[in-house]
Amino acid sequence: MKLDIIGLLVQTALLLLLAPLVTGLIRNWKAKLQNRRGPRVWQPYFDLVKCLRKDMVISEHASWIFSATPYVLFTTAVLAGLMVPMLNTHAPLSLFGGALALVGLLALGRFFLALAGLDPASAFGGMGSSREMTLSAIAEPALMLSIFTVAITAGSTNLSHIVQSVEGTTWKLLNPAHGLALAALFIVLLAETGRIPVDNPATHLELTMIHEAMVLEFSGRHLAFIEWSASLKQLVLMTLLVNIFFPIGLALEWSPAALAIALAVFVLKLLLLSAAVVLVETTNAKLRLFRVPDLLSAAFVLAALALLSMFVFKPS
Amino acid sequence: MNPPLNDIAAQWITLLATLMLVLQLFMVVQKELTTNIRLFALQSFLLATVAALVASTARAWHVFFVAALIAGGKVIFLPWFLQRLVRQVQISLESKPLLNAPLAMLFCGGLVLLGYVAARPFASVEQPLNNILGVAIGQVLAGLFMMINRRKAITQVLALLAAENGIFLAAISLTTYGMPLVVELGIFFDLFIAVMVLGILVYRIRETFSTIDVGRLNQLKG
Repeated sequence: MKLDIIGLLVQTALLLLLAPLVTGLIRNWKAKLQNRRGPRVWQPYFDLVKCLRKDMVISEHASWIFSATPYVLFTTAVLAGLMVPMLNTHAPLSLFGGALALVGLLALGRFFLALAGLDPASAFGGMGSSREMTLSAIAEPALMLSIFTVAITAGSTNLSHIVQSVEGTTWKLLNPAHGLALAALFIVLLAETGRIPVDNPATHLELTMIHEAMVLEFSGRHLAFIEWSASLKQLVLMTLLVNIFFPIGLALEWSPAALAIALAVFVLKLLLLSAAVVLVETTNAKLRLFRVPDLLSAAFVLAALALLSMFVFKPS
Repeated sequence: MNPPLNDIAAQWITLLATLMLVLQLFMVVQKELTTNIRLFALQSFLLATVAALVASTARAWHVFFVAALIAGGKVIFLPWFLQRLVRQVQISLESKPLLNAPLAMLFCGGLVLLGYVAARPFASVEQPLNNILGVAIGQVLAGLFMMINRRKAITQVLALLAAENGIFLAAISLTTYGMPLVVELGIFFDLFIAVMVLGILVYRIRETFSTIDVGRLNQLKG
């Protein structure tokens, strides 16, 4: 297992470039479904470029944590993304860790973001941080349990091994435990990316906002990095979901033809998942904040049941 | 003993059974009555699909008839009837269940686990569908729990129907491939009458107490 430089570069580029596109696509589709014209699909790129060129306003009460957070968040999101197999069955950084490292990295980013929300001592930031931590305390176990369900099939928590196990004999596409885990992971995806039953990504103007409340104080370059890493995190979680549950079409070697097929299949899977997210966002109303733990605990129980089902349905 | 189904069909049936369980769990935490009824209709649709799959792969033709009955009765007629009832009594939200949603969900998780444990001796490799027994027991238990947990008469009817879905699932997908047709017809007829009577009862309760909270029935004591 050597570090694959080309794979690393390709996946990094893909992550960075694709992430804003997915965000833009979901926004655009959502608008279309609500009979609005909506922003163009590539609008997030323009936003990023504009934010990168702008000046920053930083509260005089803010400490170094505030300025460091966007970069920590961005780095952790990219590193987490490099641990998930995207086109190739072998993730570029699988040498350094699997599912646990991925969850840990995302948690580190979240930790810094929550600190940065508290740091400038604005009322909204603190509220956002406290909410984010409350919800993530329930969402994270559900995320881990549902990854573990798949990990048991593969016999490893290394995401590359999980994806490779599709060629093995123990793999079943229609495994019922995977059905439960998929449902759980989808709810977690909605929660972690701040989608509508949990948080409204479209507005700053709600008192129940979570993610937007934490990043309210950021501006300019910092804001660009925060927005970018939010998109990255979304892409990473979506990739995780589509690739560990449906590891079809991933390239086994670095040949252009295999990679092209893998890219096409991957984009198709992402489009389908985005469509599902858009549908859920449009057909549901935002939950009252105190009802959100109900939804997440449902995800938790589903994931726990999935893990248990693994042993019930196991041919033993 | 009937011959086991082929592998793909067995996998599909197991997956659909699990999805039925997922819907059952969602019903336990869902407060909106209309959404609850829709979830029930979807669950029944999955059950009908399971029945159709079993019928076509095991060549148990009478199960086709059961699938059609489920599709006609539980996917279309009963949901329509219950929706109409909801519109008539003009109550759309379940208020104050005994346990709140996270607790109820955890409790149901425990019940499903109980079902798994109870069905463990029947699990086998040759008959993969036997593993569904655990799911079915879990679903029945979750349905019964939902009946205890809710106060509104309509949700209790719905919980009864959902628990009954679990029993049908067990009957259809275990190795017997369904009960004798006469028994199934009998159960179906019973159900329809029960729901009709309960529907009228709900309406009467609403007329008398201007609520369908069954807790209020205690006041009838002399």
